[in-house]
Amino acid sequence: MLHFDPFSPQVDADPFPIYRRLREEAPCFWSPEAQMWVLSRYADIVNAGQDWQTYSSASGNMMTELPNRAGATLGTTDPPRHDRLRALVQYAFTKRGLENLGEPMRAIARAAAEEVRGEKIIDFKDFSAKFTVRTLMAALGLPTGDEAIVDEDTVREKAVIMVQSDPVTRSKGPTHLAAFNWMQDYAAKVIDMRRKAPRNDLISNFATAEIDGDRLDEREVLLTTTTLIMAGVESLGGFMMMLAYNLSSFPDARRTVVENPALLPDAIEESLRFNTSAQRFKRKLTRDVELHGQTMRAGDFVSVAYGSGNRDDRQFPDADRYDLARKPRGHLGFGGGVHACLGSTVARLATKIAFEEFHKAFPRYERVHDQLAWMPSSTFRSPLALELALN
Amino acid sequence: MAKITYVEADGSSNTIEVPTGWSLMQGAVSNGVKGIVGECGGSMACATCHCYVDPARFSELPKADASEIGMLELAAADVKPNSRLSCQITSSPKLDGLVLYLPATQH
Repeated sequence: MLHFDPFSPQVDADPFPIYRRLREEAPCFWSPEAQMWVLSRYADIVNAGQDWQTYSSASGNMMTELPNRAGATLGTTDPPRHDRLRALVQYAFTKRGLENLGEPMRAIARAAAEEVRGEKIIDFKDFSAKFTVRTLMAALGLPTGDEAIVDEDTVREKAVIMVQSDPVTRSKGPTHLAAFNWMQDYAAKVIDMRRKAPRNDLISNFATAEIDGDRLDEREVLLTTTTLIMAGVESLGGFMMMLAYNLSSFPDARRTVVENPALLPDAIEESLRFNTSAQRFKRKLTRDVELHGQTMRAGDFVSVAYGSGNRDDRQFPDADRYDLARKPRGHLGFGGGVHACLGSTVARLATKIAFEEFHKAFPRYERVHDQLAWMPSSTFRSPLALELALN
Repeated sequence: MAKITYVEADGSSNTIEVPTGWSLMQGAVSNGVKGIVGECGGSMACATCHCYVDPARFSELPKADASEIGMLELAAADVKPNSRLSCQITSSPKLDGLVLYLPATQH
C-alpha cells in the first residue's frame, strides 16, 4: 500500500522515489500522517497556485504552521489583503534597491571564502551561513557592528530551527516555538530601533510604509519582518546547500560552471527544478474539489509538493536527470501563482555572486560523505552539513 | 483574436494567433516562445514576462497601472519607456499585427 509521511526522516533524506509513486499511482493522495491531501503532479500544482480562491493560504502555508502567523504575512493571506501587503513590501525588493547590494554581497562572499580557507575539508554550511546571514543583515538593514543587538550565528540558528518540525509529534515542538518567539522579539526590537531613527533599509521602509494613508498593522509588520528574516536566512542558505550538493555530486557540471561562470544561472535554474529546498507548502480548500477520482472537501488541507511537480516527466522529460543544458521553464523552485517567491530576484543574484566567489577561491571540490544528515522539516529540505574536500 | 509577433533577442521571431481575452504572456508561453517565462502565471508576482512593445503602437495599449510599474522594476533586463509585463496586455482584434521585442534574459 502506498504510504507517504512528509514528517518521516526517509522523506527528508530522499522524497523522490515516493513522489514518483504518488504521481503515477495516486496523484490526489490522502496522507493520514499529515492529515492532508498531497498533490504531486506538475499540472495540478500549477492549477492550485493559480486558483487561490479555491486553494487558500489564509490558514497558513507552512506544512506545520507557526502560531499567530496565518493571516499576517504575504504567504498566509489571500487577495485582496495579500495584494495590499505585497504593494507595501514589494518596493523594498525592486531592482533599484538590489543594484546597490551587488558589490557588498561580493565583498561578503569573498570574506566568507577567506574565512574557511586553509582547511583541507570544509563544511559548506560554514561558508553559506556566513554569507547568507551577513547578506540578509545588509539587505534588510538588521543592526550589525557597533549597533548589533545579537550575534549573527544566533540569528541563523534560530531561523533554521523555526522551519523545522518534530518527526514524532508531527508538529512544532517547544524548541521550534522558542526559536520563533526569539525571532519575534528580535524583530520587534529592530522595528522599534528603525521607527525611532529610520534609515534607508528594508525594515525602516517597511515599518513606516504607507500607501494612500494605509499602513500595516503591528502584527503584520512584526510577523512579516519575522518571516522575511526566516525566509531570507533559511531558504537562501538551504538553497545554496542544495546547489553545492548538486555541484559536488555532478563533477562535470561543477567543472563546466567553474570554467564558464556565465553558465552559473543555468545551474541555479536546474537546481531550483531538480531539488529545490522548498519542497512542500500547504493550502486549505474553500470548496469541494473532485480530482483524479477523489473528492476533497471544503476545509481540508492540501499539500502542494513543488519538489514532486519539478520531477514530473509530463512537464520535464527525463526529469530525474540533472541537466545543465535543460534551462527549465516554469519550474516550481520558487512556487508559483500569486504567492510566487517575492525574494526570487535577490535569491538568484545572491546565489550567483556567492558561487562566483566561492569558485574563484575553491575551483575543485568533492563531497566527503555519500550519506548525509538531512534537516527534519516537512516543508524544506537541505542537508544539515555538507563536507567538501578541497583539492 | 490577434496575430502577435514575438521577436527574440537573437532576432528570430514567432507570429502567434492569440485568442481574444488571453494575455500576451499566455499566448507566448503556450506556444513555446523562449523569451517569455511567466513564472507566476500572470498573477503579477514576478517580472519574468517583460517585453518591449513596438514604440509606434505603444500608446494604443491601456496604460500600465501602479502595481505593474512597480513590478517592472524587478525585471532582469533594462526597463525602457516601452517596457510592459506581457501578462497585463489582453489580446483583442485591435492589437492585430502588434510586435513585441523580448529581452535577452528574464532572470
